[in-house]
Amino acid sequence: MDEEVISVQHLHKQYRDHIAIEDVTLSVRRGEIFGIAGPNGAGKTTSVECIQGLRKPDSGEIRVLGLDPERDITRLRQRIGSQLQQSALPERIKVWEALDLFASFVPGESNWPALIDQWGLTGKETASFANLSGGQQQRLFIALALINDPEVVFLDELTQGLDPAARHATWGLIRAARDQGKTIVLVTHFMDEAEILCDRLAIIDHGRVIDLDTPQALINRHGGPQRLTFSTDHNDLDWLEALDVVQDVTRTGSQFTVTGTGSLVPLVSHALVERGIVPDDLRIHQASLEDTFLRLTGRDQMNGLAD
Amino acid sequence: MHTIKHLTSVELKLITREPFTLLFVFVFPIVVLLVLSGVFGTEATEEWQGTTPANYYAASYIGTVIAALALISVPSHLAAYRERGILRRLTASSVSAQAVLLSQLIVGFLLALGGSLALILAATLIYDVEMPVSIGGMILSFTVAALSFVTLGLLLGTVVPTARSAQAIGLGLFFPMWMLSGTGPPPDVMSDTMRSISDLLPMTRLVSALQAPWFGDGVAITELVILVGILIIAGAAAVYRLRAADQ
Repeated sequence: MDEEVISVQHLHKQYRDHIAIEDVTLSVRRGEIFGIAGPNGAGKTTSVECIQGLRKPDSGEIRVLGLDPERDITRLRQRIGSQLQQSALPERIKVWEALDLFASFVPGESNWPALIDQWGLTGKETASFANLSGGQQQRLFIALALINDPEVVFLDELTQGLDPAARHATWGLIRAARDQGKTIVLVTHFMDEAEILCDRLAIIDHGRVIDLDTPQALINRHGGPQRLTFSTDHNDLDWLEALDVVQDVTRTGSQFTVTGTGSLVPLVSHALVERGIVPDDLRIHQASLEDTFLRLTGRDQMNGLAD
Repeated sequence: MHTIKHLTSVELKLITREPFTLLFVFVFPIVVLLVLSGVFGTEATEEWQGTTPANYYAASYIGTVIAALALISVPSHLAAYRERGILRRLTASSVSAQAVLLSQLIVGFLLALGGSLALILAATLIYDVEMPVSIGGMILSFTVAALSFVTLGLLLGTVVPTARSAQAIGLGLFFPMWMLSGTGPPPDVMSDTMRSISDLLPMTRLVSALQAPWFGDGVAITELVILVGILIIAGAAAVYRLRAADQ
């Protein structure tokens, strides 16, 4: 069942001197990792902060687990967990003290010692927050976000400042949280992270949702043509252009490049094999989410560097 | 209450790990007391309101403990919590602005109390300072004065942009007031201009409120009413500021 846990309709938020969110509409389903991706300053963080009731939108309707973040904030906070982009703990607080303190804000018993183990903080219980590495601090923040056993977890720029190994480890832990049945809302400006991790994602730019779908569907829709390259002794492959999916065939020496869309790879391969052409160096060049994103946000041109 | 209790106990633990705050609260006033009492001697004369300089300063320096803590360390502590996102982190976990402010107020009050007791102990041991005439009046006045000034400091912490500016503004407020509130030169040696400025300063009210029961002049009702007024207005304004901070 695709039960909707977050629904945002026409969210708008303006500050004195600029518009942070023009018009954001999105919906998140239970049990998915939902990404909110976009360039810096696109309105991602403001959007999730409105959804979490940390900021008040000017207009629009938000429902999280059926609750209105403005009116039902107390009840809502018991059911969501947050890792905020710009947040910290007192420098001299110890890991166990932080977990114990935040557990005390939650009604009922909390099993925070299990979180220490689960998030790889064993042996760091008595370390001060300031003495943790970036990765350890992030893991502590995720543990704090999970301390009330929330149904929806918001993670904002989770892997910023982490080295590649720590990023990969963190991704694994987020999947593990999803596999426990939690819904994850992930804000990121790393497109590789969004592509690898997210079940679906919304791309936001200039305060608007440009598109919302699975990473693959977004790539297919906006990533531009696919390219196939291979080499063969045959000189004339213009007949390939008769295929609907093929847009263009070019040749450089014995190297051919076929450009097209949709099911380009199987149809072209099949046609080649039918004519006895079996190249051993056939390669598929498909746009990544990052390429797609750059095309979508118009930042693939040099003038994108100006702003 | 549960939240406030936990926040307060963690804050108290954290304070014991902050040498700067402890130095300010426990050591600075004692050092100044010793220096000034040393400079002015131990003779009872008229400009010391008929008592010895050490006796004169003992009461007013409780005011210094409270004001130094309230104007210098409380605002920068709260401002750092805002600046670094610690407050946002707490807000996201259902901790209200009132709970944060109340726990900071309790911690500030306990620090002021500890610093004052250390000061009185030092003054008694070294200068044989007399105990306050009215212990009950002293407890009442100290409680009102400390709660009022710490709340003022909390309000300051909610309006300054950064922890660094909080420290600069706090020092800028504290030192001139310290010179003119009867904690530096006694009012009787001040010029008329100095004294009329002095009358307008909240720290003067704080010091007068503490001196009255100490010297046996009863309870300074006017000063206490003013301090309670500061407490209520600053408290309400601080809650408002903290809640509105991000909207």
